[in-house]
Amino acid sequence: MSAIQPVLNESLGMEFVTNLLPHLINGLALGLLFALIALGFTLIVSVMEVINLAHGSLFALGAYLAMVIIDPSLQNAGPIGLWYLGLPHLLRYAIALIVAPALVAVVGFGLELCLRRTYGKKKEYGLLLTFGAALVLEEAIRLTWGPVEQFLSVPKEISGAFIANGLIYSTYRIYAAAFGIFAIVLVWLFLTKTPYGAIIKAGAHDSEMVRALGINLPRLQLLVFGLGAALAAIAGIILTPIWGLRPHVGVDAVIPAFLIIVLGGIGSFWGAVLGGLLVGMGVAITGAYASAWSLLSMYLLLILVLTFRARGLFGKKTALEA
Amino acid sequence: MLTTKGKAPIVSRQMLVFFAILLSYPLWADAAGLYEYLGIEIVIFIIYALGFNLLLGYTGLPSFGHGAYFGVGAYGYGLAQLYLDAGFIPGLLLAMLAGTVASGLVALFLSHRRGIYFALMTIAFGQVFWFLAIKLRGLTGGEDGLLNIFRPDIDFGLFQISLKSNFAFYYAVALIAVLVTLLLWRLVHSPFGMAIQAVRMNETRARFVGYQVWWIKWTVFTLSGAIAGLAGGLLNVAQESAFPDTMSLHASGLIVMMVLIGGGFVSFWGPVVGVIVYYLARDLLGSITEAWLLWYGLLFMAVMMFSPEGFAGGWGKLVAWVRRRKQGEVLMGGAQND
Repeated sequence: MSAIQPVLNESLGMEFVTNLLPHLINGLALGLLFALIALGFTLIVSVMEVINLAHGSLFALGAYLAMVIIDPSLQNAGPIGLWYLGLPHLLRYAIALIVAPALVAVVGFGLELCLRRTYGKKKEYGLLLTFGAALVLEEAIRLTWGPVEQFLSVPKEISGAFIANGLIYSTYRIYAAAFGIFAIVLVWLFLTKTPYGAIIKAGAHDSEMVRALGINLPRLQLLVFGLGAALAAIAGIILTPIWGLRPHVGVDAVIPAFLIIVLGGIGSFWGAVLGGLLVGMGVAITGAYASAWSLLSMYLLLILVLTFRARGLFGKKTALEA
Repeated sequence: MLTTKGKAPIVSRQMLVFFAILLSYPLWADAAGLYEYLGIEIVIFIIYALGFNLLLGYTGLPSFGHGAYFGVGAYGYGLAQLYLDAGFIPGLLLAMLAGTVASGLVALFLSHRRGIYFALMTIAFGQVFWFLAIKLRGLTGGEDGLLNIFRPDIDFGLFQISLKSNFAFYYAVALIAVLVTLLLWRLVHSPFGMAIQAVRMNETRARFVGYQVWWIKWTVFTLSGAIAGLAGGLLNVAQESAFPDTMSLHASGLIVMMVLIGGGFVSFWGPVVGVIVYYLARDLLGSITEAWLLWYGLLFMAVMMFSPEGFAGGWGKLVAWVRRRKQGEVLMGGAQND
C-alpha cells in the first residue's frame, strides 16, 4: 500500500498538469502580450511622467490599421492593387506587422507634441489630455470602421489547432507566446545594448541631468512616445485575433497594462514582464475553473501585492509620488 | 490656485446667482429650447461633481474610479426600493450609506498612497466594483442593469408629492443641490477645509506641521464617496433604473473631465460650469453630429493644452485683465491731468 500511494499521487499530479497545459500556454501568450503593452506604457511613464490613457486606443488603432493593410479593398484600384492582393497572405501579414506600428508611432508623435504643452504643470493635465485623445481616437475608429465587430485575418500558417497527448492546442496561441518573447527580448536588447537605450534609461532616471549633458531631450521624449505607441500597436495586432476587434477593445488592454505596471513597480522592465506573466497566468488559470470570474483575479492580485509591497514587486521610490 | 480663507459669508454672491438659475430653470427651460429632464441630470451631476472636486481640486487627489461609488449609490437605492420598500428619503440615505461604506473601505487601502500610485489604485478599485456590478447578476441584473424602480411619492403626512412628474422631481433634486452646496461651501472654509488644502500643497510639510494626513485623506475620500452615492441614488430615481455603465472607467474619466474643463482646480464653481458645458455640448453637438464625443474630446484636448485651468481659470484671467486695464486707465488719466 505504502509503495503504491506516492506513485498514484504522482500520476494524478501529472494528469492535472497536462490538463492544465493548454490553459498555461494561453496564460503565457496573454501574459507576454500584456507585458508588451505594459512595457510601452512604463517607458512613457518613466521618461515623461505621463500616464497615457490613450494607450488602449493606440492598441486598437494598430489592430485596425493592420486589418486594412492585410485585406485592403483594392479590387477597383487597378493593376498595383491587384498585384498587392495577389501577394501571399503571410507576406501581407508581415508587412502589416511592420507598417501598422510605424503608422501608430506617427500618431504617437502627434500626441506627444500636444502633450508638450502640459510638461512642468500639474501631472493631471497631461493625463487628462491623453484621456481626451482616447475619446477622440475611439470615436474616429468608430466613424471609420463602424461599431460592429471586425476580424483581423490571420494567415493559415499560424492559425488552426493540433492535438498532442489527447489535448487540443491552438497554434495561434503558441505563435503569440513566441512572438511575445521575441518582441520582449528585442526591447530588452534595445534598452540595454544600444546607446539609445542607455539614453532612454538615463532620461527615465533624471531627465534634467540628461538635458544638462547636452542630449536633445524633446527628441528623446518624442521617440520614446513613438516607441511606446508602436509596442501597443504590435500587441494589438497579435492579441485582437484572439479577442475580436471592437472600437472599445483598447479598454480591455489598457486596464491590465495599468495593473501590471503597478504590480511590477513603475519604471521596472522585469517588473512589467513578471507582472504581465502573473496577470496572464492568473487570468488563464482562473479562466479554466471559473471563467466568468477570470478578470477579477487580476484586480485581487494587485490589491494583494500592493497591500504588502507599496511600490509593487520591483518598484523604487520615484519623483512620481511627489 | 484654489485657496480659501477662513472667513467667508454663509451665502456668497456667486452662490445667489447659482441658486437663482437653479431654482428658476423649469420656468425658462422650454423657452431656451431645453427640457426639464435635462435639468434633472445636470443638477444630479453638479452634486456629484461638487463632491468630487473636494477630493480633486481641494485635496489634490485624482480619483479615476469614482464612478464606482456613484454606481454603488444607484444600486443601493434600487435594492433598498426592491427589497426594503424604503421610500424616497430613506432610500437616498441608504444610497449615501452605500457610497460611504464602499469608499471608506477603499480609502483604507489608498490613504497612504501618493501621486501616480494613488491614481492607479483608484482605477483598480473602480474596476473591481464595475466588474462586480456586471457579474453579480442575481443582485444587480448584470449588464442589463437593475430595472423598474419606479419613482415613489413622498408622504408628508398631511399631503403627498408624487415624483413622477419631472417638475416635482426637479425641485426635489434642486433642493438637495442647494443643501449640498451650502454644506460644501462651509466645509471648504472651515479649519478642515484649510487642512485639506495644506495636504494638496505639500503633503510632507502638512504632516510635519502636525496634521494627521492619513486621516484627512481618508475622510475626504469617504466624504466625496458619500456625495457620489447620494448623486447615484438620485440618478437611479431619475432613470428608474441603475446600470453598470455608470461605474466604467469611461464614466469615471468623464466626471474628472467635467470638473477640470470647468476649472475645478481654480474655483469652487468650476465643477458647476464643467457639468453644464458637458451636457450642453452633448445636446447641441449631439443634435448636429453623431460623433459629438470626437469634437468634445478635441475641445477638451485644446482646453488642456491652452488653458488647463478650464473655463473658470479663463474667466479669472479675463477679470484680472479687465481690472488691470481699468487701473492702467486711471493711472494714465492721472498722468494726463498732471
